[in-house]
Amino acid sequence: MNTITLHNTLPAVFAGRGDTGSEIWLRDVTFERGKHYLISAESGTGKSSLCSYLYGYRTDYSGTMAFDGRDIKTLAVKEWCDVRTNHIAYLAQDMKLFPELTALENIMLKNSITNHKSEQEIVGMMNLLGIGEKVDSPVSKLSIGQQQRVAIIRTLCQPCDFILLDEPVSHLDDANNAIVARLVSEEAQRQGAGVISTSVGNNVKITVDKEFKL
Amino acid sequence: MSNKANKYSSNHLKWKLLRKHISPSQLVGFSLASLIGLTIVILAVQFYQDVKPIFNDEESFIKKDYLIVTQAVSTAGTLLGSKSQFSQEAIADIEAQPWCRKVGKFSSNDYSLYATISVGGMGGSAMGTMLFFESIPTEFIDVADSDWKFDPAKPEIPVIMSRDYLSLYNFGFAASQGMPQVSEGIISKVPLEFTLRGNGHNETIKGRIVGFSNRLNTIIVPEDFMKWSNERYGSGLERDPSRIIVEVNSPGDVKMQRYLEDHGYQVAGEKMQQGKAQYFLTLVVTIVIIVGIIISVLAFFVLMLSIYLLLQKNTKKLQDLLLLGYSPSQVSRPYINMVMAINAVVLVLAVIIMLLARACYLPMLRAMGTNGGTIVVAIIVAIVIMSLITVGNIFAIKRKIKALWIQQS
Repeated sequence: MNTITLHNTLPAVFAGRGDTGSEIWLRDVTFERGKHYLISAESGTGKSSLCSYLYGYRTDYSGTMAFDGRDIKTLAVKEWCDVRTNHIAYLAQDMKLFPELTALENIMLKNSITNHKSEQEIVGMMNLLGIGEKVDSPVSKLSIGQQQRVAIIRTLCQPCDFILLDEPVSHLDDANNAIVARLVSEEAQRQGAGVISTSVGNNVKITVDKEFKL
Repeated sequence: MSNKANKYSSNHLKWKLLRKHISPSQLVGFSLASLIGLTIVILAVQFYQDVKPIFNDEESFIKKDYLIVTQAVSTAGTLLGSKSQFSQEAIADIEAQPWCRKVGKFSSNDYSLYATISVGGMGGSAMGTMLFFESIPTEFIDVADSDWKFDPAKPEIPVIMSRDYLSLYNFGFAASQGMPQVSEGIISKVPLEFTLRGNGHNETIKGRIVGFSNRLNTIIVPEDFMKWSNERYGSGLERDPSRIIVEVNSPGDVKMQRYLEDHGYQVAGEKMQQGKAQYFLTLVVTIVIIVGIIISVLAFFVLMLSIYLLLQKNTKKLQDLLLLGYSPSQVSRPYINMVMAINAVVLVLAVIIMLLARACYLPMLRAMGTNGGTIVVAIIVAIVIMSLITVGNIFAIKRKIKALWIQQS
């Protein structure tokens, strides 16, 4: 997948509001593989909705979104599974971790279907982010910041063309923000992937090719 | 290493996640209900299979469209000494009827006959009784030629006996005298001897039971033996037959029934009674099967509800798994495996219970002269019902999980 394009798209809940002044909604936007994008937004401007549309679990929008020119509303379930395991790595704002599983189990749940990283690499990343001793702790026992780091590592455990991050560092301090930025940049570079991250203020500290205001 | 790899396998982790909220009591409830329903259905089917031979009218040696006709015996007739035999004219008249294809005469022995049977093998008690033989033309009897012939050089008398005689022995005589009950299979192997006396001869010939009949209420021997023995021991007098066997176009023909009534003829055999008994058997079995099916259907819905509830409680987890890239079929797999395992266990248990129950009632049926029917039908019914239930379950699970694909905003 080389491009993600948005053509005149608008969440159904915003219908009839007229021009919102957004640089995304009701515009023609193209995200290219290999480039880094930041979508800065205020709360309630449809940031998480945009992510859910691009990940295929919500369809309540008008206009067209396309992967390499193909309308994503025409993708079959099987094709979406392929997108989710091989083309777009996604970190949801609410992280979608499973509290009853341990930190490592949460990550392995993803990695076991992609076989993208070895257990060693994963534990290495956990050490790097300062949660090395939390490997076997249930996620429910971790702080929000620790959970966010687990979720980020899980997101990176797959081959991808784009990394879609919904407020990836909202709960991280500057030091961890920097480490996350490094891990994401390295992974994106290794795979030649594009990065689309959203933020309401605390940006992930990676160099950005283009910034959009939502 | 492999243990560790297994610990983090997608299947293991999936199951660890999704087994949550599974209610063992609900599943046990379903399994029990399903087991009871399925067992009732297949036990009824099996019982019907086992009992059917007792009622089955289609004997191997006499066809359905053969009627055995006798003259009604009246009290007045007995007092006045009137004959209950068929005259040549009467037979000719029956033969001339449009519904009649063929008439065969019963001929009986014209000499003294004494039968001995040993029960309990060597040293066991022997029983003897005065007896009679009858024969009908071989063309009315459907037994392999090799079984149904008599050779004076190697004398052995094949006989077809009324099943009533065996019942009379088993349930009357044996029961009251403390003798062992015998099955058809056993009695066919019991040594049987006939002593024929008359015309200056007195000889003992071995006998062999080739079958039992519900409809021939007598003891039938091959026609060639009857001819031979009557010539050897009998007086040589021709007698009119007291009963005849008639091959008809259709046993239910109204014209025929009227003719028989008008002439005071009776059709032998308890065919009518048996028809009623079989009808009620079928009715009762059908009712039992319907009850079993209703229980099975209810059990099916209990499982359905239980699974829906489970999926409902796990909705968030299932959706999150789908977002990780698990396909709907991967996500539904643990539930489908669970349902298949439960249903397979129920199926096996139901068949085992059915076979145990059958083992309890089979001795009673054996005493009535049958070894029961095949168990294949009941097992096929069990598999078909369980397959239908399983397919229904799987379909519902898949549909439910597919419905989770698009999340509401």
